[in-house]
Amino acid sequence: MNIIACYKWVLDEQDIKITTGSLALDTSRAKGKISEYDKNAIEEAVLQAAKSGAEVSTLTFGTGKAKASLKDALSRGPEKAYWVNDEKASTADGYVTANVLAAAIRKIGSADLLLFGEGSSDVYGQQVGPRVAALLEVPAITFVSKFEIQGDKVVATRTLGDSIEQVAVKLPAVLTLLPEINKPRIPSLKQVIGAAKKPMQEFKVADLDLPAAAVEPKTKVKSLLGFVMKRKNQIYKLDTVEASVQALVAGLAKDGVL
Amino acid sequence: MAGIWIYAEEQSLAKQLLTAGKELAQKINEPVVAIAIQSDMASALAGAGADKVFHLQAKTDWVENYEKPIAALLQKEEPSVVLIGGSLRGKALAAALAADMQTGLVNSALTLSYSDGAIETSRIMYGGLAVCTEVLSQGCVVTIESHVFEEAQTGQAPGEIAAMEVSLESKVELIRVDPIVHQGEDLQAASTVICVGRGLNGQEDMKLAESLAQKTHGVVGCTRSIAEDYHWLPTEAYIGLSGQKVKPDLYISMGVSGQVQHVAGIRDAKIIVAIDTNENAPIFSAADYGIVGDLHEVVPALIASIVK
Repeated sequence: MNIIACYKWVLDEQDIKITTGSLALDTSRAKGKISEYDKNAIEEAVLQAAKSGAEVSTLTFGTGKAKASLKDALSRGPEKAYWVNDEKASTADGYVTANVLAAAIRKIGSADLLLFGEGSSDVYGQQVGPRVAALLEVPAITFVSKFEIQGDKVVATRTLGDSIEQVAVKLPAVLTLLPEINKPRIPSLKQVIGAAKKPMQEFKVADLDLPAAAVEPKTKVKSLLGFVMKRKNQIYKLDTVEASVQALVAGLAKDGVL
Repeated sequence: MAGIWIYAEEQSLAKQLLTAGKELAQKINEPVVAIAIQSDMASALAGAGADKVFHLQAKTDWVENYEKPIAALLQKEEPSVVLIGGSLRGKALAAALAADMQTGLVNSALTLSYSDGAIETSRIMYGGLAVCTEVLSQGCVVTIESHVFEEAQTGQAPGEIAAMEVSLESKVELIRVDPIVHQGEDLQAASTVICVGRGLNGQEDMKLAESLAQKTHGVVGCTRSIAEDYHWLPTEAYIGLSGQKVKPDLYISMGVSGQVQHVAGIRDAKIIVAIDTNENAPIFSAADYGIVGDLHEVVPALIASIVK
C-alpha cells in the first residue's frame, strides 16, 4: 500500500508584518515552513504506515523556494519526497494546484491513500484535497478527526459543525485531516540527518501533460492588505485594581453595552 | 441562462445566501436561481425572492451526495456565479463541484462586489492577519458561512418552482451520525461573550468566567488550546478563524494572548475588553478597553461593580 501526504510550503504568518499606512504585507522577514495542518497529514501518514506497513511519500507543488521543504518533510518519517517545482505555483489558486497535484499523482503511479491538511495556514483555501479526489475520481472524506485502515477500506470519523459522523469508503481515497488528529513530531537530529539520504524526485509542470488552461488560475488576487481593526485601545493600568475596573465599567456604560 | 445560483443544505443559510445573491443581482442585473433539496425549503426560497427554484427530489442519508446532480444542472445552465452555504459539508460539496465544473472556488467570502465587469470577493488570509480581494472568472463557486448575511425576508411574489427527480450515487457508506450539542449556536447569538485563554491558572478559574457570564448574561467561550489541549470546554466552544466567529455587543477576554487566528473570530464584536497580566499581549492592540492585571483580582472586582 502507498500513502502520499501532500503539503504546501508557506510563509510563517507569525513573521509577517503589516506596513503602517499602506497596509501592505511585509514578508521580508518571514521564513518558510510546512503548512501547519499539512504537518498533521505527514505525521498521520507515517503513524498509519507503522500499523499497516504502507510506504509513505510526500508531494508538494511549489516554487524554487520549496526545495527547503523536502528535507523537512523527509525528516518527519516518509521514505520519498516528490516536488513539482514551478514558478506557476506563485500565482496558483486551488483550481491550478489541484490540477497539478492530481496530474503529478497520476505520473507517480499508484496511491491508495492521499492525505491533506484541511486547509493551508497561509491562504486557507480549504479545497485542494476534495478537488484532487474529484479529479482522480476517488471518494473524499473531509474534516477527519480519526481514521483506521481496515483491509481495503478506510473508516473515518468526521467532526463537522453540527455533528460527528462515521463513514467508510473503499480505497483508494482522499482524506483531509483536522489538526486534532495528532501532534506532529519535532524531528530529532538523527531524523534530520537521515532525511538527506532519502530519495527526492522533481517534476516541472511541463512534465505533467496538462493543457495550458489547466494551469491558468480562475481566481486572481487583486489586493492583499493587512487587516487592521479600528479599536479604542484604552488600556488601564491604574494604581489599584478597583480604579481600573471603575474606569472600564464607566466606559462600557457609556458605550451602552452594560 | 447565466444567473446567480445559490445552494445550501439548510434553509436558514440558504435564505442568507439569497440576500447575498439579491444584492449582487441588483448590480449585474441577472436572476437569482436557488437549488433546494426539500419542498419546504423550495417554497421558502421561492417566497423570499428567488426568481426560480429547482427542487431536486431524491432520497439519501448523506446530503453531500447531491453534489453530482447539482454539478450536472450547473454545467447545463452556465451560471455567472454559484453561492454555496459555507458549512463544513457545504465546503466539501463546493470543492467537488468546482473540480467537476473546472472552475475557481473562494471559501468563506465576507463580501461580494462587482467591478470592471467581474465579480470580486473578499476573505481573510494568513490566520486573520490580512484581507484578500480576489477577481473571479465567469462561473466561479463561492462559499459564504452562516451569519455573514441576514436571512432574506419572506412574503415576496413567489418565484417559479421546478421539481426535478434526480438519482444519487454514493461512494461513501454512512455508518452513524451523532449530533453535537450546540454550544456554538449560543456563542454566535450571544450579546455578551466571556472568553478564557491559557492565562488561567487552572480549571478552577473557569468558575470566575462562569460568574462573570452569569452577571453579564453572557456565554463562555475559549481559545483553541483551552478546548483542544486542556479540554475544559468542548471543541465547538472555541473562538477563532477555524472555530466559532462571534459578533456580540460585548466580548471580554480573560487570560487570552490574542493570536491572529483568535482575533479573526472576534473582529465583528462591537466592544472588545481584554484582561491579562502581560501588557505586551497582542490582545490589547485588538481591544477597545484593557486592564493590565491579575484576572483573579480584576474579574471579582468587575463582577462586584456591574449593577445588573
